Amino acid sequence: MTEQTNILEVKDFSVNYGYGEASVRAVSDVSFTLGTSRVLGVAGESGSGKSTLVYGLTRLLRAPGVISSGDVILNIPGPDGVRSFDMLAATEEEIRSVRWTNISIVLQSALSALNPLRRIGREFDEVFRTHDKSLSKDDRKARAIELLAMVGLDANRLDRFPHELSGGQRQRVMIAMALALRPELVIMDEPTTALDVVTQREIVSELYELRKQLGFAMIFITHDLSLLVELADEIMVMYAGHIVERAVATELYNAPRHPYTLGLMNSFPPLHGQREVMTGIPGSPPDLKALPTGCTFSPRCPYAMDICREKVPPQLPLDNGTRLVACWLHEPSVGAAVPVELSKKFVSNAGGAQ
Amino acid sequence: MRMLLRRLGVYAFTAWVTITVNFILPHLMPGDPIQQLIAKLTGRVTPEEIRAIKEQFGAGLDQPLYLQYLHYWGHLLQGQLGTSISLSAPVAQVLGSQIWWTIGLIGIAAVLSFVIGTFLGVVFGWTRGSRFDSVIPLATFLQSVPYYFLGTILIMAFAVHFHFFPLQNAYDQYLSPGFNTTYIWSLFRHSQLPILSIVLSSLAGWMLGMRNMMITTVAEDFVLMAVAKGLPRRRVIFHAARNAILPSVANFALAIGLLVSGSLLVEQIFNYPGVGNLLVQAVGNEDYPLLQGIFLLITFTVLGANFLADLLYYLLDPRTRTATAH
Amino acid sequence: MKSIQIPRSPKVLIGFGILLVFIVLTVIGPWVAPYNPSSSAFIPNLKPSWQHWLGTTTLGQDVMSQLLVGCRATMVVGFIAGFVATILSIVVGLAAGYVGGRTDEGLSLLSNVFLAIPGLPLLIVINSYLPSGEQANPLVVGLVIALTGWAWGARVLRAQTMSLRDRDFVEAARIIGESRSRIMFSEIGPNLLPILASSLLFTILYSVGVYTTLAFLGLTNVATWNWGTMLYWAQSNNAALANEWWWVGPPGIAIALVGTSLALINFGIDEFINPRLRAGGLSARRRRQLGVARRPRLGFTPVQRITTYPEISTIPVTSAEGIAQ
Ligand SMILES: Nc1ncnc2c1ncn2[C@@H]1O[C@H](COP(=O)(O)OP(=O)(O)OP(=O)(O)O)[C@@H](O)[C@H]1O
Ligand SMILES: [Mg+2]
Repeated sequence: MTEQTNILEVKDFSVNYGYGEASVRAVSDVSFTLGTSRVLGVAGESGSGKSTLVYGLTRLLRAPGVISSGDVILNIPGPDGVRSFDMLAATEEEIRSVRWTNISIVLQSALSALNPLRRIGREFDEVFRTHDKSLSKDDRKARAIELLAMVGLDANRLDRFPHELSGGQRQRVMIAMALALRPELVIMDEPTTALDVVTQREIVSELYELRKQLGFAMIFITHDLSLLVELADEIMVMYAGHIVERAVATELYNAPRHPYTLGLMNSFPPLHGQREVMTGIPGSPPDLKALPTGCTFSPRCPYAMDICREKVPPQLPLDNGTRLVACWLHEPSVGAAVPVELSKKFVSNAGGAQ
Repeated sequence: MRMLLRRLGVYAFTAWVTITVNFILPHLMPGDPIQQLIAKLTGRVTPEEIRAIKEQFGAGLDQPLYLQYLHYWGHLLQGQLGTSISLSAPVAQVLGSQIWWTIGLIGIAAVLSFVIGTFLGVVFGWTRGSRFDSVIPLATFLQSVPYYFLGTILIMAFAVHFHFFPLQNAYDQYLSPGFNTTYIWSLFRHSQLPILSIVLSSLAGWMLGMRNMMITTVAEDFVLMAVAKGLPRRRVIFHAARNAILPSVANFALAIGLLVSGSLLVEQIFNYPGVGNLLVQAVGNEDYPLLQGIFLLITFTVLGANFLADLLYYLLDPRTRTATAH
Repeated sequence: MKSIQIPRSPKVLIGFGILLVFIVLTVIGPWVAPYNPSSSAFIPNLKPSWQHWLGTTTLGQDVMSQLLVGCRATMVVGFIAGFVATILSIVVGLAAGYVGGRTDEGLSLLSNVFLAIPGLPLLIVINSYLPSGEQANPLVVGLVIALTGWAWGARVLRAQTMSLRDRDFVEAARIIGESRSRIMFSEIGPNLLPILASSLLFTILYSVGVYTTLAFLGLTNVATWNWGTMLYWAQSNNAALANEWWWVGPPGIAIALVGTSLALINFGIDEFINPRLRAGGLSARRRRQLGVARRPRLGFTPVQRITTYPEISTIPVTSAEGIAQ
């Protein structure tokens, strides 16, 4: 697969909560690019800044969130070539024009994301009516039915209210709605966390199929790394607002290089609920108001060295530059012996997602 | 449906309580107000009228209480509310001629204040943190001003001092009622200031409540989704407002009672015909039959308004329609 | 158990300030009143002057003295009625919410009945049956007011109790075997404080309003002074038509100010109960101090580039928010 364009280019992106001295930095200097039709997985414990990142990118973040640095460029393909859209410089009206047409988003809890007083059909109708004035009422309905069929739901769901659907059905409705205008980029913020394991798996495999069929690019956020390997091309692991490791999905999963990634893989995701109990890593994520000096993970890191507590680690390119790791263990000049579990060889012909 | 039936049950029960309280109160009070009244009236009115009063408060005062109660019910069911002492006319007839003034005045004012207050609440809730926030202290003050006091001030300012509005009454006293433009125009002009004072003093409550609910609702995910879907701002606000209005409707019970109570006195201030004015007269004249009749009428009207609000809630919130037992 | 920390916003502080002034007047009002409020020894219809700060009435009485003396009865009845009503609502609300079942059904029905019956007309009926000796007794009037004003508080408290009943710490106390009434008052009670405070404020507000209204109707003893009787005399002497604003204005404004102060304090409690009312509450002034160009809008996260980080010391802001529309 050759990538000509990147749908999304993010550079040095930071987000603060609050202004002035009282502010905390929840996302720090995040850079990445996302190729057309590719899937980027974002993993990390609760509170690591995953949601803040994607809401910030789409400028949906609520007050007191403030974007404090960076560039976010959306490359929108059109009839006359690719148009570069600067998310951070655009006006409100311009941003509105790319929303849902080019970027759509699915939230963690589908129940709260659907207006409780409206039938499902009306929500679909509203999306079409807003963005494509040429569609007739019947066309809009036909499109909605088609979309529901894509996620395995019956047409009669259109007449239902959100509280009349099960959790899995609601999330399917949200996914169908996110695909309504065939956007180039779909963001999924833990779309399956509130569901039971069986439904989780079903929805993930449906997503996999849909993506193959429709070819949209996707940012998929989850706690659960094992879910990501099936879906993502690349995985980004976040901790306290920083990217600690970024690599091709299978490589990251089979041969983690950052102690935090390793810990994350060893922790068992809970069957229900959102809150992650990190059995793999003792301790809890740091308070953003009192971040430790040096590497933010150092107080919980079993391999922490003196330098980790003093200096912020740089993003080191490893494995021929296919991955980035922010960890002093891998900096040759430090001369640390990399533990075996963090230096596994990985042969990538074993195949990625099944 | 179950919810509506339940509410209906509560209102039926409340109606029964109201009627019973109405009957029992004079008997419970220290010093037996009825006997005192009769003593006071003896010699001033005909024995026939005395008998009518006795009938009204139970058929003769020598019967046991439960029999009196049954008689009382019997009269009520025949639509007999007794005879007004001060007006020497059947209470039912007096009320029937005056109720429409009150329903017209308070009804229009209540609807106006609900609509305007809710609209302002939506706007101020959405623009929270803007310059509009400075209306809140003013609204809080307005909310605390007694209706009748605001009415008095408005009369002083706009009728006595500036002559913008007619002073008192429901229409120009030189006119005789009839279906003609002069009369209707006069009605309209005379109703403006009373309506304005009711609207001004009750508006702030709706506004502040709606503003709070709007702020709370805007923090919900589905409102963010509406933004993410690229809906125009107007639509986003509508999504939020449609949900935020539910508690306002649910709180109608409390609000309508306060609004009606407050508005009754506005009638007196403006010398406007209606139940409120009658009430004040009845109090002044110790006209107990009239007082009781008015109390029943007001309570039943408020119960009716409450039920309408319940009906509205039921229509507005699909969750009440399909909810399992609750 | 957490204590109530009411946000110290200007609104709340002003509310407390006004209330304090009236409480002080309640205590010292009758002593500092310049004249006997009932004495009609003065020239009638005087506008405010140095002798009569708030002028005189048509009956030749000093308005200022009436206002000061009348403060006590108004506030005392308002507060007594408010407190009694709140105690009633605590008992009913807690019992209904915690015990549940039949008790709940019965008590809820009772509060629904009281909620649906309009309070003022009921009070007028009750009051007009009272022998005139009792009408004059502010305590009796206050108790009667309390009787009509408890239902709303009971309803809110019941809802809150029910949601607290199933929380962990209450469960824990039950398992330890603490008695029902102990759990109710020592475990659940403190968590109800904010709602309780808010409902107390509103019942006081209601009571002051209702008491002055009854007085305005002449249903309390018109010879004892409160703000309602002042308005009663003003109304029966057509003060409004004579444009005697110094007579009509002060009692009404005093009633409204007491109400305003209670409502302002309630803003603080609201923000305590519902954090959403608080979050993001950058006031316009604070925004200006921080160099934030405009109010953050939903779906348009501000971009405010910070050059030096984390050493934000004085003025970290180099450019204002993105591009103005
Ligand atoms: N309004 C806010 N004010 C201050 N800090 C906030 C605010 N919202 C979030 N944060 C902080 O920002 C950090 C990142 O939060 P975020 O919601 O992005 O985490 P997340 O990775 O999405 O977690 P989860 O998996 O639980 O959804 C957290 O430490 C959180 O405490
Ligand atoms: Mg999140």
